[in-house]
Amino acid sequence: MFRFPKLYKFKRLSLIVLLVAAFATTVVNAKVKGVGHYGYGKVATAEEIAGWDIDIRPDGRGLPPGSGSVEDGEILYEDQCASCHGSFGEGVGKYPVLAGGEGTLTEERPEKTVGSFWAHTSTLFDYIRRAMPFPQPASLSDEETYAITAYVLYLNDLVEDDFVLSQDTWDEVAKLPNNSNFVPDPRPDTQAVRCMKDCKKEVKIVSEPTITAEEVAAADDTIVKAAAGNENEKGASVYNGACAVCHNSGVAGAPKLDDKATWKARLALGEATLIKHAIEGFQGDAGMMPPKGGRMDLSDEDVAAAVKFMLAEAE
Amino acid sequence: MRQPKVEETDRLLTEIAKSGDQLPAAERRQFLKSGLSMLGGAAALAGAAKYAPPNVPPWTKSLGAPVIADPYGQPSPFEKDVVRRNVPWLTADRIASISFTPLADIKGIITPSGLVFERYHAGRPEIDPDEHHLMIHGMVDRPIILSMDELMRFPSTSMIRFLECPANGGMEWRGAQMTKLQFTHGMLSCCEWTGVLLSTILAEVGVQKGANWILAEGADGSLMSRSIPMEKALDDALVVFAQNGEALRREQGYPIRLINPGWEGNTCIKWLRRLEIGDSPYYQREETSKYTDLMPDGKAREFTFVQEANSVVTTPSPENPLKGKGKYWLEGLAWSGRGKVKAVDVSFDGGISWRPARLTGMIEPRALTRFGLEWDWDGSPALIQSRCIDETGYVQPTYTQLRAVRGSSSIYHKNAIHTWRLHADGSVTNVQVS
Repeated sequence: MFRFPKLYKFKRLSLIVLLVAAFATTVVNAKVKGVGHYGYGKVATAEEIAGWDIDIRPDGRGLPPGSGSVEDGEILYEDQCASCHGSFGEGVGKYPVLAGGEGTLTEERPEKTVGSFWAHTSTLFDYIRRAMPFPQPASLSDEETYAITAYVLYLNDLVEDDFVLSQDTWDEVAKLPNNSNFVPDPRPDTQAVRCMKDCKKEVKIVSEPTITAEEVAAADDTIVKAAAGNENEKGASVYNGACAVCHNSGVAGAPKLDDKATWKARLALGEATLIKHAIEGFQGDAGMMPPKGGRMDLSDEDVAAAVKFMLAEAE
Repeated sequence: MRQPKVEETDRLLTEIAKSGDQLPAAERRQFLKSGLSMLGGAAALAGAAKYAPPNVPPWTKSLGAPVIADPYGQPSPFEKDVVRRNVPWLTADRIASISFTPLADIKGIITPSGLVFERYHAGRPEIDPDEHHLMIHGMVDRPIILSMDELMRFPSTSMIRFLECPANGGMEWRGAQMTKLQFTHGMLSCCEWTGVLLSTILAEVGVQKGANWILAEGADGSLMSRSIPMEKALDDALVVFAQNGEALRREQGYPIRLINPGWEGNTCIKWLRRLEIGDSPYYQREETSKYTDLMPDGKAREFTFVQEANSVVTTPSPENPLKGKGKYWLEGLAWSGRGKVKAVDVSFDGGISWRPARLTGMIEPRALTRFGLEWDWDGSPALIQSRCIDETGYVQPTYTQLRAVRGSSSIYHKNAIHTWRLHADGSVTNVQVS
């Protein structure tokens, strides 16, 4: 599996130096007494470990009890995942594409998806469980995680629409199609030599950036600059640091900041209600606003300032 | 005689300093103006000579700010442009994103803590160290949960090591794309890291037979996780709580992170909360779907940990253009994840001929290493390159050599020789050469 880089081209002397160094390290480590020598910390109980031990391994080790169907997964996926990953796993904007791309790995622009590139279904389950949905990580139940995992497999034509994923059916899907195409690191894999003179006959410039510095600056559209008259600097700062991730792009059904029509109805609810929704969370028709947008480190005042900033921008 | 209260002294001194500031108001305005134009370049310097000898500037004729005017010191306001920057089009948002270290403006080999590049997968968490724990479990005799106080009681050590994202320069695989050094090479920093060797902690918990891999996991919203081979854990992996002499910065994993010297920055899990010892790799997302290197034949290399020898010229560079012909101290940075930098060569003709540079300052293994070379520029255009040779004898490859083996779709571990095109007017642009 894993291989250490070859100690190639080592001079005998450096090898000896290295061995001496290694021996010295061993001596230092040997000074560390046996298990529990320092006795620091508390011994972890099984219950404590279970609370944090969330990883799933390729053979299914770590899988929780439960199951989830493609059918249930479809509803959950549409609700929780499609706004970033697309209804068919095609990806929205720069968010990851999840399906398709089979046979593209050797092409100029390979599309690396669950079906075309990933090796293990455990990675999919594990990652959804630990980090998804993006604005509300680790919020899905085990059953929901099973169902969404099953549905992403379905989007990649890897299971039928009646498939139910559980510990019992794990082995059927544990290995993804590209599983056998991962290889160990063979580096160093280049054999450059230290030539000092006449190293090549001629030199041609073969590539230069095609975008100008001005275009790079113009592309800086992720920071929302306050409109004239909106001097709520704190709100702007909180918005750009916390809210922009969804409200710039409309991810997760979030009303986009510049979508004035969508904001009209909300404005009618009044500032106080909207601040309350932002702080406590709110289930709307288009999507769900998590409490404080999932940024529980923000104070109520921060959130209120951001809401006021957004309302001033939307008016 | 009764001493005035400390606060009173402070107040008086501040007032005096202020009035000293205010007295020559016109001069002060001129000072600010010339100061700002100095930032614009040396051309403006000639016009800013109002306080050159024999004239005396206002700050010499007044009192300055008192102590603890800034309880935590900040850089001079004249250095306001030396900051991390991001590339907006690179990522979907700034929560799962990266920023770049301003390599053109930093000196020596230590990156100031506030300029170390950032990489988040779910944003930067704000962690109360009293509420943070490190759990070590799995194939061990004594699974434990450590508070931060307890962790810091272990014998600790310090080492200066670089930290580099394996995607550093990845935007250049298919051709020159970025317009500044900050963006071609800035996913790179180097700090003194202080912490407890992972081997010390492993000895304390007792690793069982057959344990070969360790899952390291962060406490951020992505619970970022990577599998680390036991050999590295027992070699030089460090559980770090301090950086450049102070507590680890939040951006760098406060209160603790892992540092695997010379290896992908991605393996150096920040906000470290859990180490699980197991028999095989865990195949997490960031070691399968990402951080694997796709080859032209469709195979992908996995667990490509080492950051191979690399180098870049920092002066001249797009951010540090030359101002007329004459003698210059060309300088740059070299590094290797396999050990010490042994030599660096510089070419002015796009790699036809090379001159050895001088290594300056400290030469630490797996650390940024400075090189420099005195050079008399005659004003003609040049193609400037640097080439790193590390102590294993490995020679930094050209793009042609690298692409011959790996194609151009592997995203990670691009360590090809970089070329700056120096124009006759002294400006510098990014190019790739045959």
